[in-house]
Amino acid sequence: MDSDFQHCIRCTICVENCPVFTVNPEFPGPKQAGPDTERFRCDDEKSIDTWIRLCSQCKRCEVSCPYGVSPADIILKEQLRYSETHFRPLTALLFARTHALGAVASLVTPLVNRAASLRLVKYILRLFGMSTYMPLPEYRFHTLDRSRRRKGKRKSPRKVVFFYGCYLNYNRPDIGRGIRDLLVSFGLRVVMPKQVCCGLPALGNSDFDKARRYALKNAAVLADYIDEGYDVIYACTSCGLTLTHDYPGILNVPEGKKIAENTYNLHEYILKLMDEEYLKLDFKPVRRRVAYHIPCHLRALGIGYPAALLFEKIPGLEQTILEDTCCGLAGSYGFKKKNSATAMELGKIAAAALQATAPNAIVADCGACRMQLQHFTRLPALDPSEILIESLRPKGEKP
Amino acid sequence: MNSGFYDIVVIGGGFSGLMAAITLADEGKRVAVVSRGNPVCCLSTGCIDVLSGHEDPIRGIAALPDEHPYHLAGEEATVRALGMFSDIMAGANLPYMGDVHENRTIFTPLGTQKTTCLVPRSMESAHDHGDDYFHVVSFRGIKDFYPSYIMSRHARAGSSVYDAGVSATSAIAERFEDKTFLRKFISWLKGLDIPAGSIAIPAVLGTRSAPLIFDEISREIQRRIFEIPTLPPSMPGQRLFSRLKNTFLARGGSLYWGRDIASVERLGDQIEAVTIASAGRPSRVQGKAFILATGSFVSGGLYATMDGVKETVFGLPTYLPDGRSTWFNDSFFVPGHAIEKSGIRVDSTFRPLHAGWSNLFVCGSILAFSEVMKYGCGHGLAIATGVAAATMCERQV
Repeated sequence: MDSDFQHCIRCTICVENCPVFTVNPEFPGPKQAGPDTERFRCDDEKSIDTWIRLCSQCKRCEVSCPYGVSPADIILKEQLRYSETHFRPLTALLFARTHALGAVASLVTPLVNRAASLRLVKYILRLFGMSTYMPLPEYRFHTLDRSRRRKGKRKSPRKVVFFYGCYLNYNRPDIGRGIRDLLVSFGLRVVMPKQVCCGLPALGNSDFDKARRYALKNAAVLADYIDEGYDVIYACTSCGLTLTHDYPGILNVPEGKKIAENTYNLHEYILKLMDEEYLKLDFKPVRRRVAYHIPCHLRALGIGYPAALLFEKIPGLEQTILEDTCCGLAGSYGFKKKNSATAMELGKIAAAALQATAPNAIVADCGACRMQLQHFTRLPALDPSEILIESLRPKGEKP
Repeated sequence: MNSGFYDIVVIGGGFSGLMAAITLADEGKRVAVVSRGNPVCCLSTGCIDVLSGHEDPIRGIAALPDEHPYHLAGEEATVRALGMFSDIMAGANLPYMGDVHENRTIFTPLGTQKTTCLVPRSMESAHDHGDDYFHVVSFRGIKDFYPSYIMSRHARAGSSVYDAGVSATSAIAERFEDKTFLRKFISWLKGLDIPAGSIAIPAVLGTRSAPLIFDEISREIQRRIFEIPTLPPSMPGQRLFSRLKNTFLARGGSLYWGRDIASVERLGDQIEAVTIASAGRPSRVQGKAFILATGSFVSGGLYATMDGVKETVFGLPTYLPDGRSTWFNDSFFVPGHAIEKSGIRVDSTFRPLHAGWSNLFVCGSILAFSEVMKYGCGHGLAIATGVAAATMCERQV
């Protein structure tokens, strides 16, 4: 048992910062669900916390805690323990397998994408406990799995492995290929090895064994590349948090520490190349006024907001950083019917905060945030790399 | 330079640190704030206690002991810093009211009155209440807010309870952000037929658009209305913190939040950089100068052991009053426990004494002799020393 809950002084700062707690009275909040109840939990008694699955694992409690307690981690462990003795709904079984889901869906994309928008299908999905307030993400056939896996000068002294994650792979491979080509334009050798889901959806849907299996598979591949002198790059901040926080942590992956030490956020890495004077970038103007929604998991990474530092260098780009609101979707969380009211409520709050800055586009590093915010604001939602590509025009395109 | 290279790195994202950071960002410096978590000002009443024991808190500074850190900032600079704070808040849509030369009172959930100086507009009319009738509006199930406590101290008071559907302060405050909820609440309030007098409401009137919600209720009801700050979770504290933090972000500042400092890099008499703990590779944040604003014991800037008091980031020498045996008081509630005097001693430029660092400055409640509980000067001192230390630091960089 973790003892860090003993450092909790019950100050309620985490409660002030819990998005679910503010809109769903059924959830007792991170203090009570985390450290407070932890004192009464005991390994040989089964878990009885019926509300434990209402936590979306945004980790805002952990980031706000001034005493180093991680209510989110305590809750995650209890969610896993709860599922040992309690029924896991069909949605949880399904969403734990987003990877397999994507692999199948991408094979039959026209069918899946069209079916997902049919009323009858939505009705059936709701029967199975899914929420349909927002269209499901569209799947693409030409995934990153099916794209060119190695690109750039073979002899380049800078070699990177791109861990693209499920969302870019199955739903937005265009963004993934853009990032690959951007890195290649910097003179890097870029490899996108065969990879599986990072494991977060399985962990979030209380399937520890599956999460660990995925993690071990990825770790074996990534560790080999690291040994050959590659750095690992991620663009999805939730994948990034899983690789650097959960692989060495709860998933206890033997190579976890090595992976965490050699894994970089895409923008953090570009800044590093600039610091080392390997890169001198010529940022061209981008005439946009963006609201930069900081994903909760980027906050939890503890690396600051590297894309925002790059944006500062782009002439003409106006950015407002918003980090106080959670989009509410939290990956598969909001796609479950029992969470949909919470997700919608939070989505509207976040959308209102973004719209108050009168932007013409939204930027967020997380695919799930972008889906949700685009839905509630009706504004285009972009990955930060899309702005960089507009500015750097790696292929020499005209603005 | 790009990532992790700043003119000034402020350690501690509390009131004092953020005031210092905003001051420097306004001067066009590249500033980062590194914070382990959200600060204790989130738990506060959101009011600015400048010096509670004197009618004119600014005049009162002269009467403080010679070593008190208010003297380092000085009266004039303190007034200027408080003015700067008020300007920031007015610009951040959370206007503060009051005169820095005059203390005022607000109500507490116990029905007692607390002396403070600057208050958010929603608490302005709590001052000088006299014996007027007042009506306490509470919410069903809200914790630690009992109208009967307040009424037991005021002969002419009444109360009503509104069912908001939720009972936590942050949840009720979020409901108030919804226009439909607000209109329903206002029409309920209008229908109450409260005798003439003022209306007191626990401080749950919104979060992001707090003053506007208060204004709308006041306009509709045409009564004197004021908020009573609640026990934590405290919305006025949360509003204050988020406005300060977002002002810093809007002025180009960078945040590194939620992690401990893992190590400090030193070179000669300079602090070079700090690294921030992570599960993997620590992030490095480098600065030409550093400001330490990690607060006192509650905030974790100071840590007491049996052997003494430690400063937790740089290991600076600390001051501790002599002789533990002299620390005892006859009564538990006598203000001014000796341990409150402990902290970091600084020279007139806010550099720590006997430490040898030329680019390190210290501000806020971690300063020795501040005794913020005894003198009722927590937020005022945070503002005054935050701005003053930043000014000294700016001259150096």
